[in-house]
Amino acid sequence: MAQLRMQGHRVLVADLTGDTVRAITGSMVAYEGKVAFKSAGMGGGDGFKAALKRKVTGESISLMEMSGTGTVYLAVDAQDITIVELTNDVMNVEASQLLALAGDLRTDVKFSGLRGATSGQGLFTTTVSGTGHVALLSAGGPLIALEVTPQYPLVADPDAFVAFRGALNQSFVTDVTWRSALGGGNGEAFSLRFDGQGVVYIQPEER
Amino acid sequence: MTMELVNSKVLKVGVQHGQTVTARKGSMLYYKGDVTFTPHSMGGGGGMPGFSGVAGMAGRMMQGEHVALMVAQGAGEVFYGLEGLYVEIIPLDGSSMLTVEADRLLAYEGHVQTSIVPLTSQGGIRGAVRGAMTGQGMFTTQVSGQGTVAVLSHGGCFPLQVGGYGGEVVVDPQAYVGHLGNITVDLSASVGFRDVVGRGSGEATQLKMSGQGTVWVQASEKKF
Repeated sequence: MAQLRMQGHRVLVADLTGDTVRAITGSMVAYEGKVAFKSAGMGGGDGFKAALKRKVTGESISLMEMSGTGTVYLAVDAQDITIVELTNDVMNVEASQLLALAGDLRTDVKFSGLRGATSGQGLFTTTVSGTGHVALLSAGGPLIALEVTPQYPLVADPDAFVAFRGALNQSFVTDVTWRSALGGGNGEAFSLRFDGQGVVYIQPEER
Repeated sequence: MTMELVNSKVLKVGVQHGQTVTARKGSMLYYKGDVTFTPHSMGGGGGMPGFSGVAGMAGRMMQGEHVALMVAQGAGEVFYGLEGLYVEIIPLDGSSMLTVEADRLLAYEGHVQTSIVPLTSQGGIRGAVRGAMTGQGMFTTQVSGQGTVAVLSHGGCFPLQVGGYGGEVVVDPQAYVGHLGNITVDLSASVGFRDVVGRGSGEATQLKMSGQGTVWVQASEKKF
């Protein structure tokens, strides 16, 4: 399996040994060796159904396939990068924060409830499932992993949300009271609430 | 003279009498000791080969490689930083030249020479085409001599060896910072790239580095 490793905090290195790694289009900053780059297609390489879903839902994700033998260096706007390992697991990722996928991983689009309509994130999120490594981007500093347990649900800002994994139920919380209607609110009228058991990843900057 | 990093974004330069440090105008954060600053006249120093004084200065302005500089001299410590950009210190042993774009130069020791060279000097007309296509402009800055140079990058930069085990290195023009050594830079426009690499516009050009040396690449595709 292709290996993903870090060079510092903001550069991801993919060592290719005759296999394929998928990454967000345009994220290559340099490469050595014999590497071929090609567009993974409209559906990010997951077939016609995924492509159609993306087209309809507008949850755009543009991936390229890198294959061959060599080393590829990936970076996006000096954002911090975190490598997360998935073992037969599912992860929900904000499409804009996904950098690279290595291993036996599939991406799909999932309806995520009405939260997106008002938070401007879109109604759909991208899911990554299978076994392999996922590289996530976080703007403003290192990614923050927050444990969620049934006793302690987590409420996060939709603009800081990057990904979640585990048995979590995601809901959309509105906190619109007469206060915020009058302009006296705290400015955080819409939030994401996570109940259950799992991990939520957030970034230290709001999109 | 000593050049060291206070943190990844602030450079500390220790100056002694008889030494000077040239830095980007406006990049001085603070200084300690008896240090005086004078604007650096572009001419005189290392203008375009064959030009001097006013002609050299006019030449620089035309080329778009014009960056206002200031010279610090005296005895003390000067601290430099610019727009929260990351600073990388590159030592030059005098054996080879560092090629970098003028707006990426933060500071360099006074006895290091800089000169503006047209890209055509690095591969004739192909060099010029490369500059035009990658948005790098037609001219670049070469730094030679023995000393230390501080270079700016967005998100920090890392060195890659060219001509080692991997052989050629291909770099995104937007992420390219500079290179040291005997390296030939070539434009590579592969059709396969066209739709997948590049930022937004579908820009498909890459810089292919071959030869022997080091190339610095930044962790971002943002130019400044």
